[in-house]
Amino acid sequence: MIPVDTTSLRQFINSVYPLQEAEMEKLLEVWQPFSCKRKTILTAAGETERHLYFVIEGIQRAFYMGSQDRQEATIVFTYPPSFSGVADSFLTQTPSKYFLETLTSSNFLRTTYRQLDQLMNKYPTIQRMVLQLSAGALKGVLERQIELQCFSAEEKFKTLLTRSPHVLQIIPHKYLASYLGIDATTFSKLLGSVRL
Amino acid sequence: MPKYKCVELLESLQNDVRELILAANHLKSTDPGILLQEPAPGKWSVIQVLEHLNSYGRYYLLAFERSMNKQTEAVEYFKPGWFGNYFTKLMKPGENGTITHKMQSPRDHRPSKYLDAFPVLNTFLEQQHYLLELLELANLKDIGAIRTPISISRFIKLKLGDTFRFFIAHEQRHFVQINNAIAIIKGVTGISPATHPAM
Repeated sequence: MIPVDTTSLRQFINSVYPLQEAEMEKLLEVWQPFSCKRKTILTAAGETERHLYFVIEGIQRAFYMGSQDRQEATIVFTYPPSFSGVADSFLTQTPSKYFLETLTSSNFLRTTYRQLDQLMNKYPTIQRMVLQLSAGALKGVLERQIELQCFSAEEKFKTLLTRSPHVLQIIPHKYLASYLGIDATTFSKLLGSVRL
Repeated sequence: MPKYKCVELLESLQNDVRELILAANHLKSTDPGILLQEPAPGKWSVIQVLEHLNSYGRYYLLAFERSMNKQTEAVEYFKPGWFGNYFTKLMKPGENGTITHKMQSPRDHRPSKYLDAFPVLNTFLEQQHYLLELLELANLKDIGAIRTPISISRFIKLKLGDTFRFFIAHEQRHFVQINNAIAIIKGVTGISPATHPAM
């Protein structure tokens, strides 16, 4: 069997929650490489997320599809180096309310809930690492909640481009507009007028 | 004859089913009036097409489940059978969404005209989620050794891997029909009174 290259995952974990070498090795053992084409649906609404992904290459998008109107909402983007997968469905092992798809062809490392759960039961530091990562994700989600409810279109636009300017180059603008909850035409107007 | 890695084949079939789930979710946000309208006299409405698929689902999901009760060990590769591969190729729509071989549906799978949109859609979605689970469980089985009886005759059995391929290709085929029906209905209702066919 070809050994799995986990260098970037190791680096990423060391940057967020450094582990002792013994635990790091146990953690890195459970990941398998996984690749897919663009516009592949990784998880469908109604499915329970089985995998935790670590993105090596490519961009992914989670989106919600309402059944009342044609509105579709972009929930989150993931790109390297970061984790991906439907986080809430994965952690609670309950059905996902939204879809997760790849926007470009993607390379990942991935593991299953069962494998991670076994590691968490055995190694308290791995459990604390997962808690730390989940806490970070929760913080991000609540901050975004404030932006969505209180900010004007221009403020949302500015905040996004100050925090992650590179997304403008890598993610189609219609999805960025949907992520901010603004009109695609408003988005392109802001792009032409707002000075950062 | 192509040869597949079982893991990759099952993964790609799961992906096909997820696309069908996404398409069915789009239908859920479409006006039920459009879904229930015949695109032309005597042609099936979108909901009738879905009910036709549901009627096959009722047969095949049970057949998959029963045949998978057989104790087998997972293997690395799957080689399609001659018949299974032939039927799948016949069913599967072309890359650009074209259907080459027109077929007649058997009498016992022709849907009623009197259907309620949402229960039919929800049944379809439930069946697809169940299919996803079966495809996942199939990773633990030998999909070449297990054989599943087909609906035309219980005496004809195809390899489980082929029956999955065939069943999903049949669903994809009918989603081409669904997209065409919606395009026709929207096109027709978009016509202004002055150019109505009656003129």
